[in-house]
Amino acid sequence: MSCAEALKVQAYFDAELDALSALEVERHVEGCAACRALLEDLGKARTLIRRDAGSITAGAALRSRIGHALDGENGPAAAIQRAKPSMGRSWPFWLGALSGIGTAAIAAAFAWLLVLPHAGTGLLDSLLAAHINSLFPGHLIAVQSSDRHTVKPWFAGHADVSPIVADFSEQKFPLIGGRADYFAGQRVAVTVYQHGLHVINVFSWKRNTGLPLRDTTRSGYHLAFWSLGDVQYCAVSDLNWSELTQLERLIRSSGEQDYP
Amino acid sequence: MGDERSRFEAQVLPHLDAAYRFALALTRAPDDAADLVQEAILRAFRGFQGLKATEAKPWLLTIVRNCYFTARERQRRETALPLRDDCDEIPEDSLVAAGPDPERSSIQEEQQRALGRLLPRLPREQREALILREIEDMSYRDIAAVTRVPIGTVMSRLARARVALKELWIAEHGAADR
Repeated sequence: MSCAEALKVQAYFDAELDALSALEVERHVEGCAACRALLEDLGKARTLIRRDAGSITAGAALRSRIGHALDGENGPAAAIQRAKPSMGRSWPFWLGALSGIGTAAIAAAFAWLLVLPHAGTGLLDSLLAAHINSLFPGHLIAVQSSDRHTVKPWFAGHADVSPIVADFSEQKFPLIGGRADYFAGQRVAVTVYQHGLHVINVFSWKRNTGLPLRDTTRSGYHLAFWSLGDVQYCAVSDLNWSELTQLERLIRSSGEQDYP
Repeated sequence: MGDERSRFEAQVLPHLDAAYRFALALTRAPDDAADLVQEAILRAFRGFQGLKATEAKPWLLTIVRNCYFTARERQRRETALPLRDDCDEIPEDSLVAAGPDPERSSIQEEQQRALGRLLPRLPREQREALILREIEDMSYRDIAAVTRVPIGTVMSRLARARVALKELWIAEHGAADR
């Protein structure tokens, strides 16, 4: 009844095809009655749906409700100030949390940064450099939020993958925000967690078909690798292994719940 | 702050109707949809920064959808009642009651009632794909981003939704009408 080309015909109908493929479909439809009928059905259904549901609007009551609710908000201006300490008067709250790490650690981080460029250009170096770089004031977080509904959509416009984002405050691994880094030819999504005074950067990028990555330790930082679907994850921190793998388990199981 | 608010209103609030229609497709109940949209808008406002204008719509709809699943999860934990999504009892006219508009003619109302009965009967995955494509005119790519599935899945969901809608329509109106 339905032709093997049905999905292609649908894509044609939805204007998803390039000119050349569209031409192919048009040629096919000329000689295929099933696909001609399909095109006609698609057109009827579209007319029906647009006519019926297109006029549904949010309504004045909801609009004014939302207006009032927005009046009660401090707004994103405050968030921007928090995310860009150099431009605002106040330090972001997480810097307070990080202050326990102390200037020595920052200095050590700086030293590593000077050394790293000579240590090779592999993925491990990129990850480590990105982690250390993130510990500088103002570099850790671009979107500062413990709300995964804020952090996750932000990645849609800033990174090439859509990673698992969840807050594990209850398990003492609160989500503190996200940012995007660039290495390995991709915009890598980074979700940032905190555990006590430690910061954990969880990098995620599109997995390529290279060698499987093994957990490793470099320059005193642990790197834990795992993958889910086509996304490769790597958690980097100076946490001990058992705590780092605990976070890995939390993220994995959260991913399995969210994306069954 | 005033600047941010007006920037937000200029970039995100034009998509309020889209957010509401999408919320309605998810919840199938006007009151729930309104609550969902309000929550999503507030979350969007809190996270609104450095957003490109072209990204605003899929971004907002993604937040609506995330809020929907969070609310559902909360509901599941707090009550032992079956969820709307899991049961077949669909509120009659759920799409129609959405926006009471005195200017709407009775013929239009009749048509809306027809679709209001049909669309909510589709599974959620099909409803959302269909609404995003046909009403919001979104590309497969954007639909895939909002609903967090590969483009191939979007295509097969759309195809199934369209077939299912046709069958429901024929069951109700007979084949001759089509």
